[in-house]
Amino acid sequence: MIKINIDGKKTEVQNGTTILSAAKKLGIDIPTLCHQPTVEAYDACRLCVVDVTDGKKTKMVTSCNYPIRKEIEVDTKSDKVIKTRKTLIEMMLSRWPNVRAIKNLAGEYEVEKPRMKHPKIDYNPNACILCGLCVNACSEIMWEDIIGFAGRGDKRKVVMPFEEHNIACVGCSTCENICPTGAIKMVEDPNSPVDGARIKKYGYNVTKEMAQLDADQCDMRGVGTAHLAEIMDDYDLLPTMNYQYGSHNDTPNISSPVFKKKYFTQGLPDGCYLGCSMACAKTAEGFELKTGPYKGEKVLVDGPEYETVGGCGSNLGIFDPEFILESNFYCDTYGLDTISYATSTAFAMECFEHGILNKERTGGLDLRFGNKEAAMEVLHQMARGEGFGVTIGQGIRRMKKIFAEEYDLTDAQIDFMQDIGMECKGMEYSEYVTKESLAQQGGYGLALKGAQHDEAWLIFMDMVNKQIPTFKDKAEALHYFPMFRTWFGLMGLCKLPWNDVEPIDNAETDEPAKVPAHLEGYVNFFSGMTGKEIDKFELIRQSERVYNFQRVFNYRLGFGTREHDAIPYRSAGPVTIKEYESRSERYDKELEEKWDYDISGKTTEEKRDYLRKMREDAYEKLCDAVYKRRGWDSNGVPTLEKMQELKMDIPEVKKVLAK
Amino acid sequence: MKKKITVNKQEIDWEENMTITRILEVMNYTFKMLVVKVDGKLIKKQDYDRFVVSAHADVKVIHLISGG
Ligand code: SF4
Ligand code: SF4
Ligand code: FES
Repeated sequence: MIKINIDGKKTEVQNGTTILSAAKKLGIDIPTLCHQPTVEAYDACRLCVVDVTDGKKTKMVTSCNYPIRKEIEVDTKSDKVIKTRKTLIEMMLSRWPNVRAIKNLAGEYEVEKPRMKHPKIDYNPNACILCGLCVNACSEIMWEDIIGFAGRGDKRKVVMPFEEHNIACVGCSTCENICPTGAIKMVEDPNSPVDGARIKKYGYNVTKEMAQLDADQCDMRGVGTAHLAEIMDDYDLLPTMNYQYGSHNDTPNISSPVFKKKYFTQGLPDGCYLGCSMACAKTAEGFELKTGPYKGEKVLVDGPEYETVGGCGSNLGIFDPEFILESNFYCDTYGLDTISYATSTAFAMECFEHGILNKERTGGLDLRFGNKEAAMEVLHQMARGEGFGVTIGQGIRRMKKIFAEEYDLTDAQIDFMQDIGMECKGMEYSEYVTKESLAQQGGYGLALKGAQHDEAWLIFMDMVNKQIPTFKDKAEALHYFPMFRTWFGLMGLCKLPWNDVEPIDNAETDEPAKVPAHLEGYVNFFSGMTGKEIDKFELIRQSERVYNFQRVFNYRLGFGTREHDAIPYRSAGPVTIKEYESRSERYDKELEEKWDYDISGKTTEEKRDYLRKMREDAYEKLCDAVYKRRGWDSNGVPTLEKMQELKMDIPEVKKVLAK
Repeated sequence: MKKKITVNKQEIDWEENMTITRILEVMNYTFKMLVVKVDGKLIKKQDYDRFVVSAHADVKVIHLISGG
């Protein structure tokens, strides 16, 4: 900390703090025209000048970009400073006499009629005053660099390249919002919203939060979702070797600093959504492939995202960033989903380690965890439609059936496959360990389309924060979040800006988990777009209609009932003795404290079995509570009353429910 | 008897001069979007290094992500 003195007031600041922000904290006002906390100052207006005394020397500096590095004294109101500001204001007033920001300053500094006459006087109240904020905002906030200054002296102005409309401009309106004079106006609203200004206001708030807060929050712009790998490992949630464990000593090899330092090359917004300042997608350029049809070629890899790191990395027991990049590339190229490939392969690997598969059955593939050559060959075989890759490519549900039918397996082996095959409704699990969060087991098992976390991700709320302890609390969360998140799907919106960056005061709101300010933003977005006023309750209603209709649809096709919401036991607790023993302290404690089970003299097998009984029972109770909250019967089918309440009791629905 | 504090309903040993930063370290809470409350009072991020919790305090470290 460095001691400083501003206008006689003393304070301490961190090395590098600007004089302007130190003064602001002391309640001292310094005028600015070209400064905004979100972007680098252009040093254009010089209005923020102050006197700095360091020992005996005094000099005048611009306070908005002067970093405090040692003990100094600052005078923000010396005669010289005031005189300089007055001259600057006078000059600006002579050129832009009607610009409100300048007129206000002139009033404040008692500058009346300018003594000089400017040769290029501009009477436009929205004239550009060349502050440069838009230029820096476009470059720093949006990473777009579309606008810049051209010309010198009187001819200086803000333009797009060659003074032509530039199609690369994403129309984000950041420049329009930051401009202090209103010189920039967006001329086109491509989606013809009813009230574009309302939408822009919200959009700009998120853009501002990204610029100010992201680096300290999720660093989505720096590394995207890949930062989750190390976080999940710290919380014992990173799936390791087919979800047996939640962390591993080698995780640092595949964590985001490795990708950021060695592989990610383009610090550019990815363009998946025009004007998105979150820009979370990352790419690695010039990556040389080691296998497959493009072996030896240098390619661009789009990713990896967290799911790919967890799935193709730790969950296969492969802690090698280059394997992750290569499997990412080939999954994309072959049109495969990295989660399904990875989770299916992890299942096959565990079957191999337990003797359900062997080299003879896999056509020579040595499918032990950690064997990257074999895992990569599986991927190529899937694409070529050859060998054992064809079997794995059919997914876990079919694999369980094929193995049971074709190999001479014991009942225990068949049950084991059921327990460790991480799929629900035929869809492979995405990459989170759910054993210690009952709510998240429901998040996967009760999702309509199968084991996906995109309806509800409740692990921190449930397991870490312990915010939803009762069945009723969990059921409420498993009602609200799936409905809320379904809404993003209905609108075609990305959900990351909802809670991968959060307003600075979110913590102080009544329901931080819902991010109320952003929720309000979505309500405004909908109303601004359609002209129809809704509130946050109607937003959930909109989803409920669709969600329940989808459940009825599933029911009509023979799914959508309780039995199809069942989850593999690996999702709820330790299947093997080894798994139990790896976290025995945790499980023993639960048995004693939560279930009043006397563990003395009990074998691990007995303890594991008792824990299983308790946890499986808890899952059924969770289903009961959720069905009730959602307005479904005890078999998980929406009731006719619920459909009536939602005004979805159309004849087709009635017919299906009458069955 | 060792003095304790509660962190997210879990008891841990209290230490002399225990700051929020220290608690996060003990709990291995590395996630960044946190809300910390000590006996119901919100503690701001800039005070994590300074604020010292007393024995028997009830600490809540809310991890703000319902996403993923
Ligand atoms: S609208 Fe956005 S991308 Fe276009 S010039 Fe302005 S800041 Fe840059
Ligand atoms: S257009 Fe607005 S923001 Fe850009 S330089 Fe001119 S006054 Fe500043
Ligand atoms: S505000 Fe500092 S130079 Fe303009």
